[in-house]
Amino acid sequence: MDEERKIIFVSGASRGIGAAIALNLARAGYDIWLNYRSSTAAAESIQKKIEDLGRNCRLLPFDVADEAAATAVLEPLFDEVVPYGLVHNAGIARDNILPLMQRREWDDVLNVHLNSFFILGRLFSKMMLSKRQGRIISIASISGETGQAGQVNYSAAKAGLIGGSKALARELGKRNVLVNVVSPGLIETEMIEKLPLDKILPLIPLGRVGKVDEVAGVVRFLLSKDADYITGQVISVNGGMYM
Amino acid sequence: METTKKLLKEILVNDLKIQGIKPEDISDTEPLFGDGLGLDSLDAVELVVLVQKHFGVQIEDMDEGKKAFASVESLALYVLDHKE
Repeated sequence: MDEERKIIFVSGASRGIGAAIALNLARAGYDIWLNYRSSTAAAESIQKKIEDLGRNCRLLPFDVADEAAATAVLEPLFDEVVPYGLVHNAGIARDNILPLMQRREWDDVLNVHLNSFFILGRLFSKMMLSKRQGRIISIASISGETGQAGQVNYSAAKAGLIGGSKALARELGKRNVLVNVVSPGLIETEMIEKLPLDKILPLIPLGRVGKVDEVAGVVRFLLSKDADYITGQVISVNGGMYM
Repeated sequence: METTKKLLKEILVNDLKIQGIKPEDISDTEPLFGDGLGLDSLDAVELVVLVQKHFGVQIEDMDEGKKAFASVESLALYVLDHKE
């Protein structure tokens, strides 16, 4: 770290890619505001690891789709300090083919990925504008780039994140607030446990699934000074599965 | 009223970082946006945050905000009207 310690807020960071991002950023010297909804034990174990690295980690449990809850937690904190970065990673999957999809499966997925982008994006961007610095990174998915059968809800939400992030990048550029998207392919997490990997691996030029730290490293780069001139971009981390 | 207007002009210049102008150069009735001081919609967002910080006055409704943001004078009136 070349400057004073910066804080990064990571949504959905108790498990999976989010937890890896929080840890990776802590190793790079950032303090973490760690958001999660229900996995308290998992969140506390990440917090401990971060504190063992000598960094601060503030646990912020709330549902990112709940605007009142997000506002109640974040606004009082913003009076003291505004984080340098927002990494919007929170996500769920409720896979089903559209003819059979329940309205609830659609709504839940859109709420957690996309309505939360509105909620968090609005709260953070308002404060970052005045600081004339900041980074917002959305974690999308290859499904949002290519479309994926059985994931009309998830693909729509992730494609929405990509479009929303590009538009926001245009809005905030003049104030030196940079907005980018990291779009993972198949990454070794609970989310892909049930997939038929023997059928999928041949579609990936690198012939393997990705590791969570291979996503986290790109997030770290986008937060760094090396990425000062990058905004509105979608960086895919997918082993070449989609080009 | 005069103190509020003076403070608002200082906020505009110092916090919104309007280039090449001193607080005392801003007239009370000059439009803040567009042709006047040339503020844009991002400045409006910042001004909402600054007004809340300095005066404890929250501008929730941007229709109301637009009227208040017409000039230093109208903003000072709005602030004094809504201050606790």
